Amino acid sequence: MKLSFYPGCSLEGMANDYARSIISVFERLGIELVEIEDWTCCGSTAAHSLSKMMAMALPARNLAAAEKLGLDIVTPCAQCFHRLRHSQEMIEKGLFDIPWQVKGGTEVHEMTRFLAKPEMLERLGECVKKPLNGLKVVCYYGCKMVRAPRLTDFSDYENPQTLDHLAAAVGANVIDWSFKSTCCGASIGIGRKDIQASLTRRIFQKAIQAGAEAIVVSCPLCQINLDLIQKEIGGPAAPVFYFTELLRLAFGGDTPRKRFKTHITDPVPLLSEKGLM
Amino acid sequence: MTLANLSQSDARLPTNPGKKRRLIGGRGNYFLNRIQGETGENISACYQCERCTNACPVSYYMDIKPHQVMRHIQLGWRKELMESSTIWICLSCEMCTTYCPNEVGVAETINHLRNMAAHSVIKPREKHLALFHQTFLEQLQRFGRVNEFWLMNAFNLKPNVLRDKIKSGLFVQELMDGLTLWSKGRLQMLPRRSKAMKEIKEVYRMNRGDII
Repeated sequence: MKLSFYPGCSLEGMANDYARSIISVFERLGIELVEIEDWTCCGSTAAHSLSKMMAMALPARNLAAAEKLGLDIVTPCAQCFHRLRHSQEMIEKGLFDIPWQVKGGTEVHEMTRFLAKPEMLERLGECVKKPLNGLKVVCYYGCKMVRAPRLTDFSDYENPQTLDHLAAAVGANVIDWSFKSTCCGASIGIGRKDIQASLTRRIFQKAIQAGAEAIVVSCPLCQINLDLIQKEIGGPAAPVFYFTELLRLAFGGDTPRKRFKTHITDPVPLLSEKGLM
Repeated sequence: MTLANLSQSDARLPTNPGKKRRLIGGRGNYFLNRIQGETGENISACYQCERCTNACPVSYYMDIKPHQVMRHIQLGWRKELMESSTIWICLSCEMCTTYCPNEVGVAETINHLRNMAAHSVIKPREKHLALFHQTFLEQLQRFGRVNEFWLMNAFNLKPNVLRDKIKSGLFVQELMDGLTLWSKGRLQMLPRRSKAMKEIKEVYRMNRGDII
């Protein structure tokens, strides 16, 4: 099985650990990822805020490049997924002109939903060597991955399940909670720190109240926001994992300490306490 | 307290003494028609149930709440919307769009207003937020991708940004966060350039509206 991979800008910088764990997990699952050649930024919030035309045209170049490869796209970043889908929809409706040929027919997969398909979960279960028994986690989805449902095709947008299924498949003890898809504030923290801090703080505190020892995310910006806020709040800390990091951990093999050195809240004490490292 | 008194003392209701529906154009709803045409949303369908405002995680920080934005459009109060902080504070998290019983795309509409404000003479109420978007697109034009480290530096070098941050004490906090991230190896100091710069240039040319 072959897929084209659109990493997004964050995975080159802040979330380089996420990129490494994704590559490792897909290798173990026997799926080949082909990085889209010369991929460019999807434009993110800035493009659609200032110019609708750019928000449509910037992701379209990557769609065209993936079409040239003839492979479906899989993307780990929630915002990139949202923008690619949006661009696809606009092209299909014929609302804008773009300088590239996009015929359509390329599927854009969201990474968690792709891996949470029944047949992929089965394949995942076979790979698990070291189940994460006793690790209490809550799964946090964020906003762009599930909403708006008419764009993302999430039917269970009020209580999404993909990450829950994945975490349960590797043996973690998944706790149900109500802040799964509340917005964490994202990049508003750069202009208005107070707003972002209050939103992220609430999500983190609710996770602790639900009894979580760790938070599982799939969005690079959610991870950084939830990880940075903990110092400020004080009190009990909870490491924030990318879901692929947990999968990689459960797949067994050697787990060096330095793999988790990018985390601000160090997960090593928790993992050693549970006997997972 | 009677019902009439209650509604009078309700501070949440917009009080606009002396303001009327603006009658511009043939039937007076030029602005409403324009927004409806450009966004493809049926804004006339909004019946002020406030579900969008109740779902919105940042409505507390907005001066015109999402349901009031819809009413403003219906009444043709364009200037008030352009000057509001709402259009810049909106996170586009699409809670409002998802829960609207009449399927009005509230987030898309606010985003469209933000597009309009970016192309108007009115100074944005949330200067930093608007400036950040601009810096992001400038960085994108330069490298084809966006590097967080360079983006933050470029943003801080914009006029008055650093001064405002130092004044509010935010700069020290940001510096500490930056140092933490750097020590954890999460900052990529050297930006990577995409090789597809020709295509990026083409998109920016289209955006400027240049013929060649």
